[in-house]
Amino acid sequence: MHKLNQVLLRDDIRVGADLDAWLACGGGEGLAKALRDPLAILAEIEQADLRGMGGAGFATHRKWAPVAATAAGDKYIICNGNEDEPGTFKDRYLLEHTPHQVIEGALIAAAATRANHVVLYVNPHQPLALNMVRQAVEQWRGHSLFSELGRLIGGPLSLDVIPSSGLYIGGEETAVIASVEGGFPFPRRKPPFPAEHGVHGSPTIVNNTETLAHVPGILRNGAQWYRGLGIGNAAGTKLYSLSGDVLRPGLYELPMGTRLEALVFEHGGGMLQGKEFKAVFTGGPSNTLLTKRDLDVALDFDSVRQRRSRLGTGAMIVVSEGTSIVRKVSEYVSFFAQGSCGQCPPCKGGTFQMMRLLGRIDTGHGVRADLEALENLCRILPGSGRCGLIDGAVTVVESSLQQFRAEYEALLIA
Amino acid sequence: MPAGIPFEDARKRYRPGAVPTVRSDDTSVDELLKGYHPDHGLNARVALSIGVNQGDPCQPDLARYLQANALIDDIDIAGAQVISTDVLIIGGGGGGCAAALIAAKQGAQVILATKLRLGDSNTVMAEGGIQAAVGEDDSPQLHFEDTLRAGHFCGEPELVAQMVMDGPDVIRWLIQLGVMFDLEEGRPMGGNLLRKKPGGASAARILSYRDYTGLEMMRVLREAVDLDPAVEVWNRCPAVELLSDERGRCAGAVIYNLESRTYVLVRARAVILATGGAGRLHLNAFPTSNHYGATADGLVLAYRIGAHLRELDSFQYHPTGIAYPAHLAGGLISEAARSAGAKLINGEGERFVDELKPRDVVASAILRECAQGRGIDRDGQTGVFLDTPTLEMENPGILAKRLVTLRHLARKCGHDAALEPFLVYPTLHYQNGGVAIDKDGATSVPGLFCVGEVTGGIHGRNRLMGNALLDILSMGRRAGAKAAESGAGAMAGRAGIGHVHAWQRQLTLAGLPLHVKAPQLFPGYAHFDLRVDAALRRGKWGGAGGGVR
Repeated sequence: MHKLNQVLLRDDIRVGADLDAWLACGGGEGLAKALRDPLAILAEIEQADLRGMGGAGFATHRKWAPVAATAAGDKYIICNGNEDEPGTFKDRYLLEHTPHQVIEGALIAAAATRANHVVLYVNPHQPLALNMVRQAVEQWRGHSLFSELGRLIGGPLSLDVIPSSGLYIGGEETAVIASVEGGFPFPRRKPPFPAEHGVHGSPTIVNNTETLAHVPGILRNGAQWYRGLGIGNAAGTKLYSLSGDVLRPGLYELPMGTRLEALVFEHGGGMLQGKEFKAVFTGGPSNTLLTKRDLDVALDFDSVRQRRSRLGTGAMIVVSEGTSIVRKVSEYVSFFAQGSCGQCPPCKGGTFQMMRLLGRIDTGHGVRADLEALENLCRILPGSGRCGLIDGAVTVVESSLQQFRAEYEALLIA
Repeated sequence: MPAGIPFEDARKRYRPGAVPTVRSDDTSVDELLKGYHPDHGLNARVALSIGVNQGDPCQPDLARYLQANALIDDIDIAGAQVISTDVLIIGGGGGGCAAALIAAKQGAQVILATKLRLGDSNTVMAEGGIQAAVGEDDSPQLHFEDTLRAGHFCGEPELVAQMVMDGPDVIRWLIQLGVMFDLEEGRPMGGNLLRKKPGGASAARILSYRDYTGLEMMRVLREAVDLDPAVEVWNRCPAVELLSDERGRCAGAVIYNLESRTYVLVRARAVILATGGAGRLHLNAFPTSNHYGATADGLVLAYRIGAHLRELDSFQYHPTGIAYPAHLAGGLISEAARSAGAKLINGEGERFVDELKPRDVVASAILRECAQGRGIDRDGQTGVFLDTPTLEMENPGILAKRLVTLRHLARKCGHDAALEPFLVYPTLHYQNGGVAIDKDGATSVPGLFCVGEVTGGIHGRNRLMGNALLDILSMGRRAGAKAAESGAGAMAGRAGIGHVHAWQRQLTLAGLPLHVKAPQLFPGYAHFDLRVDAALRRGKWGGAGGGVR
């Protein structure tokens, strides 16, 4: 069995909001090292192959580099702690138990890019996380490392906690920017990308909470150490939110590239009631379903993508033979329909129609025409929204229709 | 149990008309209960290993059902029709009906789902009567003291106080609905309610109608519910699981329609469980006086969703269940017989206990007689005599006029109650504990209310005669009103059986068997298997509507 909780969730670093305790267990070393040689940070992150843990798996240094390269002026680092999707519960855990790890990561990012605004954007529906971050930030403001960072940037450095709207859409990168500006979290068209035109037009980096939490360790122990934690080509560790029909659901930090089978059967204790494994909803849950033949897949961004799915946030919602795929998909599509911000008509109407059709089938009123309408929507909706919400909703419907069509058909009344 | 005295010998010693004095006895009540009551003894309780009452003592047979796996999986309810309502009431006895009437009166849309048929319940089997302090020599204070004392001071004083204070108003409400009560004789212009003294009480407080008070009450409640347009009644529709939302609130129930063999998901703003007790689980291998549906369904479902329970190791054994003939064993002979003056006689022709002591004391005394060889054996059945012939001699005509059911029962047993005594033996009668509730019947699970025998806290560890009928009406009305109020709030998000998965994890981790399933819905000898029954449905899903009613 792989080693559990080696880095982010290590027992001894879950110290809460106490900064002294964090510094006593090795915290602050990464930031100190970054301050000694700020120009080397980007290279270190690049060598470590740190990826965006919020779902995209985009290389972190590629987000940072353009912001670091722009001329001095207002720049923003935003830690995205809006986490709200079904089955994902990693960021709130980090913020509740080891907020300094995340904040230090954000400060290192500021050092790398000379950003003078650091924002912790936290979901207010997780009051404990919000409270912890507020306490933690308060302690950083008076610390010498913080003033040293201010001197490096060459001006006043702001470190703020901003509660998000608590809406699902508020976690989308451009919606985060809209929200931080004080508006409703409407996603915006890309390009321009946040790195060029973010908060109030300033270069902005929006990183997931888990991504930033990895940064202090990389700086402290080096890129080689980080790469060595992963399996095969994958680097580092990953927080997997395991839920659904397994015996021991929960948050597991495992080497990036751990096989699905190991996660479900070794760490998760196997299927609930010994039932047959059926499928896994990954990420949002807005991705292609992983099925029995994917049990051997290595859970890293590239390997999962090769199976035409995505690792997403690392959420793994496991479904056994005792659970209905249609009910689950209906549940998630309802979630997306309720989470749609409504500015793009195809998304607003499309998610609603899909929810309605799935609801009809799931409650024993569906006919064949409903199934056909659903398939039609899956053909015409993709790409019709500013953000990826509609695409995610379509992907999960389409994939479940492809792989579990019989389950849908069995529920039709005519 | 040692062999008792053969029936023929005992019959010879028995003298109708003679009332022997009670055999002197220096055993304390405590010793008697500890020695002979089924709640005590070596194997009377085990500790629950999972759930919110983990570690608490529980009757072993009941523990097996409380810690059982669910009957259904998520996939069974795929494609099930979803119906929304304000208040869902599960159980069609007196408590469920009272709750339905009050909730509907307050403007709520109500669905009342019952496993059997409306009124087919223990309420109709309540013979003795209902307690309410309405006499000039009585008071709610006395009623309060009697109830707490009889319950060995384990009841919740606030709940008991509320119930006894509700008493007079409950009677007024029943009379307004049309329930008949026996009146004092000799008052041609109408007048006072006839009051009788129940065992364990300090004043005459039992109001009754003949000896089928519950049946009379149910007749009226059932008509009122059936005529109320705001209450939809679903007969033959047991609840097989409660629904929960993501915050752990109770959000409705999964109902199985026995006629169409389909599942229906009823989403409700509030759910009231009025499912009664556990008699038909035949705990401790006792016969039971309970009706066919008393299989602890509500208790099992409430525990699984996380409701706190109490006094799970305390049951009431009614002293006078039929012992002979065997096919009627467990059938109840009302306490009305003893409160009217009928005595208990052992095989040696002795009276061995004051018959108007609380039920647990009298039942223990009978069990002691049988255990010590002074019981009476007849065709393999053991018991003691309930002396109805003497009662009739002392009060001529009482059997024909006031103890109608008793006379009828004697005929079913093959004898004339005026000439032959009954052979009686304690019968599993009432579940004293149950789901912990507050003064509105609310449980520790938001959105879930409980009423009647499924609850615990009012009767402590022993219930007085006539307090069950008062309990179901007092609490039923209150829970109905409170549940209707919660109709103002928004409907919970998505409802499912997520709590069942969490429960199954606990079962597995505790090493408990997954093949034991509950609720049982029907007694073991019914050989009902939900999965087999559901599989009998042919072809496609029952279609829209599904003929729920």
